[in-house]
Amino acid sequence: MSATRAPRLAGCAVACVIPFLLPLAITGTYGLYVLTMVVISVLLAASLRVVFTSGQLSMGHGGVMAVGAYSSALLVTKLGLSSWASLAAGAAVAAFLGLIVGIPFVRLKGVYFSLATVFLGSIITLILVDWRSLTGGSMGISGIPRPESIHIPGFPVIDFTSNMAMYYLVLIVAAVSLVIMYLIEHSRIGLTFRSVSESESLAESVGVNTTRYRVLAFVIGSLFAGLAGALYGQFVSGFTPGGFGFIYSVYIMIYVAVGGQKSFLGPIVGGVIFTLVPEIARPLREYQPFVFAGVLMIVIFLLPDGLVSLPRVIMRAARHPRKSEATREEEPLRKVIDA
Amino acid sequence: MAASIYVLVSLGLTLALSVVGIVQLAHGEVYMLGAYATYLFCEVLGLYYVVSLILAVFLMGILGVVLERVVFRPVRKFSSFWPTIMMATGLMLILQTVATAGFGGTNRVVTTPFPGVVSLLGATISLERLVIIGTCFVCVVAMIVALRSTRMGQAMMAVSQDMDGAALQGININRVAALTMFLGCALAALAGGLMGAIFNMSPSMGGPILMKGIAVIILGGLGSVPGVIIGSLILGFVDSIVPLVLNAQMASLVGFIVIVLVLLARPQGILGRAA
Repeated sequence: MSATRAPRLAGCAVACVIPFLLPLAITGTYGLYVLTMVVISVLLAASLRVVFTSGQLSMGHGGVMAVGAYSSALLVTKLGLSSWASLAAGAAVAAFLGLIVGIPFVRLKGVYFSLATVFLGSIITLILVDWRSLTGGSMGISGIPRPESIHIPGFPVIDFTSNMAMYYLVLIVAAVSLVIMYLIEHSRIGLTFRSVSESESLAESVGVNTTRYRVLAFVIGSLFAGLAGALYGQFVSGFTPGGFGFIYSVYIMIYVAVGGQKSFLGPIVGGVIFTLVPEIARPLREYQPFVFAGVLMIVIFLLPDGLVSLPRVIMRAARHPRKSEATREEEPLRKVIDA
Repeated sequence: MAASIYVLVSLGLTLALSVVGIVQLAHGEVYMLGAYATYLFCEVLGLYYVVSLILAVFLMGILGVVLERVVFRPVRKFSSFWPTIMMATGLMLILQTVATAGFGGTNRVVTTPFPGVVSLLGATISLERLVIIGTCFVCVVAMIVALRSTRMGQAMMAVSQDMDGAALQGININRVAALTMFLGCALAALAGGLMGAIFNMSPSMGGPILMKGIAVIILGGLGSVPGVIIGSLILGFVDSIVPLVLNAQMASLVGFIVIVLVLLARPQGILGRAA
């Protein structure tokens, strides 16, 4: 076990270092913009996956992110709060929203929960568009300042107006959030989420308050989505409500589903691919939903566990070249019979 | 009138969901395509409005059968509803992109086939709206009668209660699924074709109506046909009255609050079966 684990850990370490080194190679404004957006997408996708692990398919995550982005931006531009405090506040407001909406919504089971979250996302964008005096209507908010620079005695001043510094800020916040989400997943709470998703009645029968844990998963997911939204607002300095609509929620879901919802790596892979590819294939922008949907359907069909399961599937196919999926399932049984 | 359109759209949504477990997120797009098909038959080919509406309804019904066969049946083997919802999402995006590419951004409108107004119990109402309400009423009654008293309707009810059990009784699940999708898409197209004669149509008209449909089935009760009617009436009422009292934008918010309150009291919706 440890023999196979060591290279895997090393691989993980290398993969963790790469994002920190990338700005050495990519220094242009556009390149840094794309990199930062990739990191924000990854954070969003990972936050959505927390909700997924508890067996709830949430489809209003764009709306939750919008709440984080708007509340943090409004606190800075209207109340003059410090950017750092508003970053935390954005996440907190989104988490609070997750709590109050989560309590009635988790009473809906399965697919009806998904439908309710679709509805939630659309209501949020509607309010953002219509509450003109506060949110600026469909024009959105602009002029959100970057976080204040940090002065640590003995170090050069870190000024976040530079895109490089902003990229590192987003990256560090996202990395810390990912670590927290990883720890949650591998803690007792994460285990309980999984048990709730696998069999709610069984979890209930051993004394798990399933409602509370389903709300908790929704709140944690909303917290990090709000954080991603707040970071996004400070990074791009202006946004419109249209960007957070149902389609965006669907895209975040596609990141997770195509990457692979069962693995922690899945949303990371999905977020990276689906943010990079549209940037590379800019001429096809008009058909982006078409391509996303096509990829989603093909992946769901051929690789239900997402792209991260691709290496495993290929390895298996290489090991048993002529055996189909079905015969492989029967293999242990056949061995028993042969013996 | 809003309520009758909601009924038509949500009926298909709830049937697909409760009978064969298909989360038809592309329902709004079928509604939009139904409107455009009516437009094509009526304005481009120059057929009578009623003929083109019927043609559009059949066309979309067949589209529903095809979708069920090509998109939804292959993922039915998975025990979870997740793959279905993903497929529906993909379908929604694809249909929307195709419609935007095909029909472009300009809004189209079908010239109204029923001009004029009628005075009814002292209230003045335009004839076309009256036609919509009447059509919807006939469809809903026909639907309920068909579900209750035909063999196929009974089969649909049986499948909705227990798919495996129904299959063991010799009910052809695939045929029931195809029929359900045919009916659902036909109803959505009917709603789209009717609305296309009143309002402008655009490739993005499906989104809001899908949201309404979802709201209606959550409110009215999961998988309940009378629930759909009640939910539609409530939401239709909210959407018509609130704009007069407050402003147009508040209507959706009030609807949302109503839904949250109902869910707190009755998680399964007003007339839903307990899960």
